[in-house]
Amino acid sequence: MKTITVLSGKGGVGKSTVTASLSVMLANDNKMVAVDCDADAPNLALVLGLEDDDFDSWESLTTGEKIQLSEEKCKSLKFCPKCQGLQKCVDACKYSAITWNQEKDLPEINDLLCVGCGACVLACPVEALTLKKVENGRIGVGQTRYGFPIVSGQLKIGESGSGKVVNELRKKASEIAEDIQADYMILDAAAGIGCPVIASVRGSDYVILVTEPTPVAFWDLSRAIELVDHFNIPCGAVINRCGINRDFTYQLQDYFRDNDIPLLGTIPYDIRFVEALVNLKPAVIYEPNFKKVFEEIMDNCLLDMKNIF
Amino acid sequence: MKIAITGGKGGTGKSTIATALALELSTDNKVLLVDADVECPDDHIILSTTREKVGDVHAILPSFDQEKCLKCGRCSEVCKENAVVFIKDKYPFIVSKQCNGCGACILTCPSGALTEGQQVIGAIYQGKCQQPYLKQEHDLLLLWGEMEVGCENTSMVVNATREYAENRTSDYDCMLIDTAAGTHCNVISAMVDVDLALAVAEPTPLGRHDLELILQLLKIMKVSTKIIVNRSDIGELKLIEEVSQENDVPIIQKVPYERDILKKHSRGQPVIHKNIEELAYVLSEKS
Repeated sequence: MKTITVLSGKGGVGKSTVTASLSVMLANDNKMVAVDCDADAPNLALVLGLEDDDFDSWESLTTGEKIQLSEEKCKSLKFCPKCQGLQKCVDACKYSAITWNQEKDLPEINDLLCVGCGACVLACPVEALTLKKVENGRIGVGQTRYGFPIVSGQLKIGESGSGKVVNELRKKASEIAEDIQADYMILDAAAGIGCPVIASVRGSDYVILVTEPTPVAFWDLSRAIELVDHFNIPCGAVINRCGINRDFTYQLQDYFRDNDIPLLGTIPYDIRFVEALVNLKPAVIYEPNFKKVFEEIMDNCLLDMKNIF
Repeated sequence: MKIAITGGKGGTGKSTIATALALELSTDNKVLLVDADVECPDDHIILSTTREKVGDVHAILPSFDQEKCLKCGRCSEVCKENAVVFIKDKYPFIVSKQCNGCGACILTCPSGALTEGQQVIGAIYQGKCQQPYLKQEHDLLLLWGEMEVGCENTSMVVNATREYAENRTSDYDCMLIDTAAGTHCNVISAMVDVDLALAVAEPTPLGRHDLELILQLLKIMKVSTKIIVNRSDIGELKLIEEVSQENDVPIIQKVPYERDILKKHSRGQPVIHKNIEELAYVLSEKS
């Protein structure tokens, strides 16, 4: 099985649109699993017509950890021969999640900023701080009406560690892929190039870079390419909304040629893509004329992968 | 006044609104615009700013002394990021890109083999707007963070960028903070202690879905919030109106999807629009 990750750097350039339509096309002749790796703001299932209630199952994740304070143990602090009011936990926290409350003479933990690294636990000489497991998200498995399953997740609001949620999503998807003996797993990554995106890209076989012909999208794309190069993963590019800036489209084409990145296809600017989204349908289903566009992208992608592997 | 511009969904118009609003506000106010999307900061492209590096952002990277190491493996046990690889009877190996700089391994090492070293995880830049076609004087400074590609501790770069900005607040009337997409730690760090958050959303089912998520986060953070509908004439406006009512968060402005706005977007230029002007007026009245 090969894992393909769809990536863009900039948000809103069409990752989920491309992923959904490519998935529908791929599923015609292959067994596949789609995974929404944007645990912060998951949209792929919606584009494929699935709302939360349409999923077969949801399970909660408890891979997150937060700090818990025992006030009792800490209250002996002033008399504690080890700490003596040095506020070691405040110093230890590099995420500014612990401040000292002078009034109460106790540390105050900002749950929103705590990443659960446990440095304060190690710094506290009286074991007043402990790590506790917390629910940090959930994972759902559903069946799309287009003949393939989707795995989607959601980071619990206010929790940290979307990269960890992505890791769990990929684990779950791998189990399903093995069950159905899938040929392809297609991952829709989050915007940006931070930890959830890195968790999506790492270990992928191929990356599809989606961009649009605007200076802003290009700047973000160049950072995404740097990331893909960092992990040494082969990639191809798709230019979405070609019509909005023709000159820049040519510049992008030149850029891809000069950098040996195969251009898998171009997608025109068309209001029907927005209509498809509003109707919660993949573009190739909403407007069958778009099939040609995505067929070309799929064929070029599979061909490029075949040449590599 | 400190205002965060956020939205949950990527590409919903956060940077478009943030840069346009910053330009409008800066005709009468001293404005500091902070681009806290350190993974993919775009405001400097839209505003064609100068680019002056003001400093690197460092995080702790454990530095290792082989002679003191007892090969006990505790450093690897406490590391939540799997950045310290330990194989029995071998010396531990530190994967620097994976290290989040928390320092837990240093605190736990019983023999002092690990001490606080440093690595660069990003940089902070500043720049003045250089759009030649701007007719008015703008008192606007852009400050932005840029994370090193491949690093994972985004929120530390956001924190450092904000800290740098906070130290300069006295020079400015107004600070705007443009956040990243999503709802995780980097977005949270960008919105700590702001007076107001503007949640930008587009009227599609996806826009609605992600707006609900960011409103949940802002509620937990107890930040006063208003909604701005971007591309208000595409999709169905009632999708956003419903969320606004259900969450009791008012929509304070709508920005349409006009040809001129699309053209500006495609060229990477800031948008000038009467609705943004109105918004700037309302916000400056408040502050």
